Amino acid sequence: MAEPIIDLKNICVTFKEDQRDVHAVDHVDLQINRGDIYGVVGYSGAGKSTLIRVINLLQRPTNADAAVQVNGTDLLNLKASQLRDERRKIGMIFQHFNLMDALSIADNVDFALKKSNLSKADRKKRVAELLELVGLTDKANDFPSQLSGGQKQRVGIARAIANRPDILISDEATSALDPKTTVAILDLLADLNKKLGLTVVLITHEMDAVKRICNRVAVMEAGRLVETGDLLQIFSQPEAQLTKDFIDTTTHLESALAAVKQQPAIAHLKVGSVLVQLGYQGASTDQPLITELYRRFEVSANILYGNLEILQNTPVGNLLVVLSGTPKHTEQALVFMKEQRVSVKVLEKGTEEVAHD
Amino acid sequence: MINFLTKIMPNVIDNWSGDNGILLGIWQTLYMTFWTTLIGGVLGLILGIALVVTDQHGILANRVVYNILDKIVNILRSIPFVILLAVAFPLTQILVGTTIGPKGALVPLILGTAPFYARQVQNTLVQVDSGVIESAEALGYNPWTIITSVYLREGLPDLIRTSVLTIISIIGLTAMAGAVGGGGLGYIAISKGYQRYQNDITLVCTLLILVLVFVIQALGDLWARKVDHR
Repeated sequence: MAEPIIDLKNICVTFKEDQRDVHAVDHVDLQINRGDIYGVVGYSGAGKSTLIRVINLLQRPTNADAAVQVNGTDLLNLKASQLRDERRKIGMIFQHFNLMDALSIADNVDFALKKSNLSKADRKKRVAELLELVGLTDKANDFPSQLSGGQKQRVGIARAIANRPDILISDEATSALDPKTTVAILDLLADLNKKLGLTVVLITHEMDAVKRICNRVAVMEAGRLVETGDLLQIFSQPEAQLTKDFIDTTTHLESALAAVKQQPAIAHLKVGSVLVQLGYQGASTDQPLITELYRRFEVSANILYGNLEILQNTPVGNLLVVLSGTPKHTEQALVFMKEQRVSVKVLEKGTEEVAHD
Repeated sequence: MINFLTKIMPNVIDNWSGDNGILLGIWQTLYMTFWTTLIGGVLGLILGIALVVTDQHGILANRVVYNILDKIVNILRSIPFVILLAVAFPLTQILVGTTIGPKGALVPLILGTAPFYARQVQNTLVQVDSGVIESAEALGYNPWTIITSVYLREGLPDLIRTSVLTIISIIGLTAMAGAVGGGGLGYIAISKGYQRYQNDITLVCTLLILVLVFVIQALGDLWARKVDHR
């Protein structure tokens, strides 16, 4: 078990809005391990931004019994100046980049080093180093208004990691970017995670972003974490409906299923035919399963929809398949597949008699 | 040359130098404008910044302080300047020892300017992107650094523009203060130009004030454009 670098316990954030209490964050516990790329997904208004702002106390919990431990330090009991020192160890990037328009790119990065003990020459060196790291050396003397969104976010990242923080918080950092730039920025984050051992906390409403770089995920709704776990586990065995919805935004499995069920052949499945969802990951995908089914049980498989993801170098597949054979053989085939560590979910069982001619 | 000038504006030439001359008027106007800009500007800036940071969304949110400052600014802004000149008399006497001349005009000028400028500063600085302020907080900066390095730096182009506006309005106020005993071009225009029907004096005083306004406006625009990178 890795060491938790961020440990939030019993976090509540309640806002007063028109005499009404709004529970933006509602009794949340969150543990993030050193070296994680931790994704928090949820729709807007779910409380994600509020929750991650608790990590550096830009947002204080409003309940008395909350605990915020970061890097072994209890942030809630620090004096203002000590808290500011701790904040310097937590980098943060934002959806709208939040660069200073009045400063050049180099000065924007240098701005983060104002309170560092580096000499002027060392600061200059560090800025150059950071700009190189994010690939913007040639833009040092430009101003933010001259940069594209992706470039601005790179400046944001350079600024956020200037003080060599242990943690980088990303608040919808790719939400204002086009898909190609999004991928480039995500890959940069993953790269920094690997190169610098940076723990990344990423909040987003895009499951694609999570899928691409996260190793752990929390799904958030109405101020609560409805499901947390490993990326693989969440993807292969989602429990909460919201999680399934989010996963479907990238696998399109649920929508495919809805479309498949509309088809007449599926609506009137014959006895002995079943519509199943097969889920598999890792090694079990290497077996010629479909061939095996026919060889052993004379059960034919008609693949209606398939999705294969490579998550953290592990293939994760989902298939919608109609299996057809004699009722007995079909049952045996289902048992066989379960033995092969394939998750089987029967969606529809044929009830219509086979017409005898 | 002098002959020609004497011919088209005899009174101006007669009253050019010496006691209550136009030259002295220019000096007095510049004197009042300069000190009011400096002292009223600093007070207004401090007050404006205080309003921004103590605002309910500010980095040092404090409802009580905000409400008190807000009321002070509102009250001072509500008093018509001509009346303020009279109302401030006792305070002026205590602070500068005289109620006449450019020096005597300074107290009401500052009282009239500081709250006006404070509002301008407030309106300018609240427009600084709250995200940028937040990112500075996330970088662990204290309120002082955020004020000096973020608010004043990011707000600088607009701050220059509102400052120009304020200086021009100060020039207007000095003319009014001058008319009731402060001296300066406003005083000369009224006491010699208007009341003695010496229209050339009124005209020249007006032109001199216009030149002053244009120069300040032009310099301000130039500077603002230079620091604006949006």
